[in-house]
Amino acid sequence: MKKKQSQEMKVAMTAGKTGRKKSFGKTLYNNRVLLLMCLPAVVFFIVFCYCPLPGVWIAFTNYNFRDGIFGSPFAGLDNFKFLIDSGQLWLLTRNTILYNLAFILLGNVFQIAIAVMLNEVRRKWFKKVSQTVMFLPYFISVVLIGAIAFNILNYDTGALNTLLRETGGDPIKIYSMAGVWPFVIFFCQMWQQTGYGSVVYFAAICGIDSSMIEAAEVDGATSWQRIRYIILPSLKGTFIILLLFALGGIMRGNFGLFWNLVGGANSQLFPTTDIIETFVYRTMTTQNNFATSSAVGLYQSVFGFALVMFSNWLVKRIDPDYALF
Amino acid sequence: MRKRTLGKRAVALTMASLMVAGLAGCGGDKGGSDSKVKEDGSIDTSKHEVINMLVLGNKPTNGRLEAMLDKLNPILTEKVNAELEFTYIEWTDWQTQYNLKLLSGDTSLDLICTATDWLYGWENAKKGAFMPLSEDMLKTYAPKTWAQVSEDDDWDICKYEDEIYFIPEDNYVQYTNQGMFYRGDWAKEAGIPDGTISKFEDLTTYFKWIKENKPDCIPWDVPGKNLTGGVLGGYIASKTPYCVINGVGVGNFTDFWGVMTDDPTTVMSPYMEDDSIYEAAELMKEWNDMGVWREDVLNFDGDSREEMYAGTSGADQHHAQTYYSTIVPNMNAKQPGSDPKFYYWGMENQNVSKPLKLHGACAISANSQHPERALMVYDLLRNDEECYRLLNYGIEGEDYVVTDDGKLGHPDGWDQSTMALGSNFWMGRNDDLELQDSTWWDGTADFIENMNSFAYDYPFENLIIDTTSIESKQAALANVLSEYIPQLAYGKYDDPAAAIDEMREKLKAAGYEDVKASIQKDMDAFVKTNGEVTIK
Repeated sequence: MKKKQSQEMKVAMTAGKTGRKKSFGKTLYNNRVLLLMCLPAVVFFIVFCYCPLPGVWIAFTNYNFRDGIFGSPFAGLDNFKFLIDSGQLWLLTRNTILYNLAFILLGNVFQIAIAVMLNEVRRKWFKKVSQTVMFLPYFISVVLIGAIAFNILNYDTGALNTLLRETGGDPIKIYSMAGVWPFVIFFCQMWQQTGYGSVVYFAAICGIDSSMIEAAEVDGATSWQRIRYIILPSLKGTFIILLLFALGGIMRGNFGLFWNLVGGANSQLFPTTDIIETFVYRTMTTQNNFATSSAVGLYQSVFGFALVMFSNWLVKRIDPDYALF
Repeated sequence: MRKRTLGKRAVALTMASLMVAGLAGCGGDKGGSDSKVKEDGSIDTSKHEVINMLVLGNKPTNGRLEAMLDKLNPILTEKVNAELEFTYIEWTDWQTQYNLKLLSGDTSLDLICTATDWLYGWENAKKGAFMPLSEDMLKTYAPKTWAQVSEDDDWDICKYEDEIYFIPEDNYVQYTNQGMFYRGDWAKEAGIPDGTISKFEDLTTYFKWIKENKPDCIPWDVPGKNLTGGVLGGYIASKTPYCVINGVGVGNFTDFWGVMTDDPTTVMSPYMEDDSIYEAAELMKEWNDMGVWREDVLNFDGDSREEMYAGTSGADQHHAQTYYSTIVPNMNAKQPGSDPKFYYWGMENQNVSKPLKLHGACAISANSQHPERALMVYDLLRNDEECYRLLNYGIEGEDYVVTDDGKLGHPDGWDQSTMALGSNFWMGRNDDLELQDSTWWDGTADFIENMNSFAYDYPFENLIIDTTSIESKQAALANVLSEYIPQLAYGKYDDPAAAIDEMREKLKAAGYEDVKASIQKDMDAFVKTNGEVTIK
């Protein structure tokens, strides 16, 4: 520590002597336009991410309104104990992470596949129409998706079971089968997000230097070879950045989708569909319990933070160019 | 090094400003009295005041409320030199909004609608949202209300730490005990004597008959998504002398904690300690296998009441007041001859508790600037016939008429759905001034009289449970229940008995005994101050 400090001092001193290193204020002044441009973002993060940080304290208190955030009695880790006592921490964490891994990894693969395929399509009208059709689900509310799913899958009047009955098959009780729900949820998520997500990759493909592709064509590369050796490698950077961003939220589930598809009553499906968000909502809403909810939020954040640090470290080891920081 | 102190200072500054912001809401001065009693005994009302009343309900937009206030305010001005203003908490997200509104320290609020069983009355009294009301204050500024409530001896139930916090809506009878609405004509055809269901098993007969004879009708098309506990609680109340303790609900399961009326000071939960739950779960499995509800009941959120009106559901579940005010008139209009009836929980063993007297109540905001005048206005609204009718029914001839036999009617062309007044005065309705609604079931009075003959007074009106110390354990219990109860209530387990055993194990692990001991402690203290509790 001391050694480092003295080294720094030396550097500073030499810098001062040669006058090459500008003062901090001057650096700021020289970059004032750039700084001004990122000011809104900085203010946003200060107001919405840093200012509320002291509120994390709630998670360690036995919170009540009269004494306020910092006046409420200290409760230590009691609020976290609830998570462990309930015996579901492992199940919830597992479900949340597995769902998100599937959403992130397979989601990106689908998006890339769609973008690449659309890029190969030569007919302009087909390209536009299919892009629009895939884009639309993104704008449908999850409440509606829940209703649509119920009308297709329910036992008594659902479209699927009506079809089965009419064709002489046996209807299936989908809302009692925990095993099929990961697929249903995954399908809905993909249906809603893939079209929208593929736009980013489509843009990235358009940004590839066309002379490379033309050169490959002249050299006699087939479509497949072009994709394999030029397009996919060029998408690697975009893929990794999106992946790293998404990993930070791996502990945060898509509450709206899960809640609307499964609901808070059908506990037959909980073993495979309960994620941290739905659990918290179900157990906390009627109790008005801020402290325990904050504890869960903190757990999610700390876990997510650790995960981002880890994956960034991993990426850095493999290829430092792609690391976020 | 410098940098670090700077950072520290910034953090300290941020924290400090946040704390200040948090504290700012708590101030507010109590307000000087501008309604002093003069030497001659009259009250000085020389200063005009605006009294703001907080009610729950959707803010009406049809202009009827404003029209009514235009008539009411001159009267209030003349009598006590004050005018009335409404603040609405709408039904969207009302639980959060209500508590936030009270805790924001808003100094403009005066009269607040509250309730101890469903509207966080005790919680907010404990948190200091309401003003303690001295006897002198009530006697001076709300003399009529004081006299009537004293006559019924109801001030004691409004006290927390020996101070009165609520004015109870105790002179208004309504039964809100839950039960099942069904069709008398079908029950008769199903072979039930007189078409009157009198015990739980009759419901099975009724549902079975519908299943076999009415192919287009689901016996009870219940939206299980919104009624996660089903009728398990109803079964328990009908087979055991169980009485729920209000205000200690475990998550959505509000009937978890209670006492048996033959041992009314021992806190327990029948879900944990009574055998009736086994029978209930077996019966629900039978119902499920029979097809009383749709297979995906737990994901269904339709409206079984509308379906009953349309003839596609054979039953609907809600409380007595809904039955005589809504179900009977609607069924008679939409399904003539259906003879709608009501089987309420506890009918077979006469186990019904009267509704709380604090099911509706008025409190004065702790930050009110003129509590005395607010009480004067309240006394008029509750006891003056002219004000009462204006506030509750609107303008005579436009909003309502009094029928020849002295009942409440409406002028021709009046439509409930577009022309309702929406004043939501649930903090002081008064049977002395209340007009009987002519659209209600004509047997209402007899029904209420019959209920009065055997229903017992809820004994724990002012038993205040300290919930803060058991909060996280209650959450853990709620979590276990939310896994098991819906499936038990709708017969989704192949072996309900085994599922109950498993649930009990988990409840025990989640801290059942600790919570029970904590509630029992409050109960013991209650018994100490109030004397022995007897029911009936």
